[in-house]
Amino acid sequence: MTPPPHLRVSGIHKRFGGLHALRGVDFEVARGEVMALVGDNGAGKSTLMKVLAGAHLADEGSFWLDDQQVQVNGPTDAADLGIQIVYQDLALCENLDVSANLSLGAEPVKAGFGFLPRFLRPIDDLEMEIKAQKAIDRLEVRTLKSVRSLVGGLSGGQRQAIAIARAVGAESSVVMLDEPTAALGVAQTRQVLNVVRRLRDTNHAVVYISHNMRDIFEIADRICVLRHGGNVATWKTSETTPDEIVVAMTRGLDGGQGNAA
Amino acid sequence: MPHEPALSIADRMRIMRQTRFGAFVPVLLALAAIWGYFGLIAPLFEYWSDPAADSIRFIFLSPRNIYNLFMQSAVIATLAVGITIVLLLGDIDLSAAATAGVCAALLGVLVLAGVPGWLACLMVMVVGTVMGAAQGLLIAYVGIPSFVVTLAGLLGYQGLMQKILPTGNLNVDDPFIRAIARILIPDMLGVVLAIGLVALVAASALRRQSMRRARGLELDSRFAIWGQIGFFAAITFATVLTLNSYRAVPLMIVLLVALTALIGWITTSTPFGRSVFAVGGNAESARRVGMKVNRIRVAAFGIVGLMAAIGGIFGASRFGSVSYTAFAGGSLLLESIGAAVIGGTSLFGGRGSVWNAILGALVIGSLGNGLDLSGASSADKLMFSGAILLLAVAIDAVSRPAGAAGR
Repeated sequence: MTPPPHLRVSGIHKRFGGLHALRGVDFEVARGEVMALVGDNGAGKSTLMKVLAGAHLADEGSFWLDDQQVQVNGPTDAADLGIQIVYQDLALCENLDVSANLSLGAEPVKAGFGFLPRFLRPIDDLEMEIKAQKAIDRLEVRTLKSVRSLVGGLSGGQRQAIAIARAVGAESSVVMLDEPTAALGVAQTRQVLNVVRRLRDTNHAVVYISHNMRDIFEIADRICVLRHGGNVATWKTSETTPDEIVVAMTRGLDGGQGNAA
Repeated sequence: MPHEPALSIADRMRIMRQTRFGAFVPVLLALAAIWGYFGLIAPLFEYWSDPAADSIRFIFLSPRNIYNLFMQSAVIATLAVGITIVLLLGDIDLSAAATAGVCAALLGVLVLAGVPGWLACLMVMVVGTVMGAAQGLLIAYVGIPSFVVTLAGLLGYQGLMQKILPTGNLNVDDPFIRAIARILIPDMLGVVLAIGLVALVAASALRRQSMRRARGLELDSRFAIWGQIGFFAAITFATVLTLNSYRAVPLMIVLLVALTALIGWITTSTPFGRSVFAVGGNAESARRVGMKVNRIRVAAFGIVGLMAAIGGIFGASRFGSVSYTAFAGGSLLLESIGAAVIGGTSLFGGRGSVWNAILGALVIGSLGNGLDLSGASSADKLMFSGAILLLAVAIDAVSRPAGAAGR
């Protein structure tokens, strides 16, 4: 049986001018599960993800978090609800070290400087390192030597892990990953998949966008297939095969819902 | 198959420059090379090649010349410290010297009109900040590239300076303003200040280390800590004792160091400074974590304007006059941008330090001073400065992080 959803959206419509990108999509993800979101190019995966993260506003549709209806009218709303997104480009500052990246925009400051405006108070960088070390330890990123190493010198897998750690560090319950292994080799991919597993084990709801069937069948609990901006269906990974998913992505289901192209 | 790839020179340089003190190495080497050449090799060569000379004359490294060198480099350094802030953002400011010129001219006119010196100084500092911030507004909110805005600023402010000073020259003999360059810190006080400074740096480094130990964080190596303290102590005492053996430490140098320390602290240790580095490293990243990128830009350009105004005050104080060629129309702009870049601040944004700008200013100042002493023409000076600047930018380009090469 499927666990109760943590985040659920239904009937999401999104139009960009004449382009009807999302046509009444339903989507849900539960805590402690990895939900894969797949579809061919232009199926609406990225649009759906951006709607969930508040980067795009849905034209129609409703959001529920733990059965409470909520409003998402911007990225800060989504962040306040604990929805975090790790974009494909990661958006890390390569000139800063790991701990600075993990605290970016929310640097802890030392107490006792209340007479200064917050942006001019001294950063408590020791506290920052402790926080970073905890975040890294939680995700069990073992290859990282020091939280003081510059991100510019890290491998692709380590960077992905840092970006995920930053999203998780922000008190998030839903973490969305956009093609996290697209540019990575075998060993690096393994490292990132381990981090994703740790996210699931720490009771996060993980949305995993990918084209790579092998990764998806290794990591996902359920797979949601989109096609032409609508749902095709959602499968349990254990009850389907890569071939079936690929067919659903490219041709849809015979007589299935949501593929009125 | 595990293997250790051989490190290329560029890799080694990159790794070295990413350490906290490694970034000082290229500019220190450049300074050592220039001082070694003008201070030792050139006089020795002159002695051996000229049978009439009866003794070796170490003019360049004489305390008197070092004193002049510091004073000559102070205005360049002040501007370079400001320019470093916008370079960190990945922007550039071509109008800093012209801003300094306008502020100096205004200062001269104000004191001539009877405004007290201290008030005139405060007024031009406000004017400089506004001039910088205005350009920042255009860059951040209208979206014009900083190169274009500040190029327009350069032209416009040059014209403005000519409007304020129709004759192109004005003597400044206000006692308050002249005092900035004239007051010397008494010898003993200078030494006491140096000891206090070194003790402060050592104490804070050791306290930090003990706090790291108490919190179970990774420790800096003993060698690195004592190396840093020793390095700082050597530079401080060498400077103070050399200046003392000619006259004494001038107030202007103390002010410059204090300002640089303040701005250095702001850039490295406050959320504002961190956001400057973040915007320079990856503006999109900074925006996504909620930093107000536009406001940071405006503030940074405001700081350049402020530093340019202070540079103008220092210049007026040192020369006792304000002239068009000394600021807006001369080589000050390129010298100060060159100083920041030679100091190791990246033109690509996100890497650099205001302290390096001071060393860079010393490199530029030493080069000019040394070439003057050896009787080189201004044509030679320009070509040498160009070569050094090119070398510095080449080092910057080669030592960029590999991943950023295609950005």
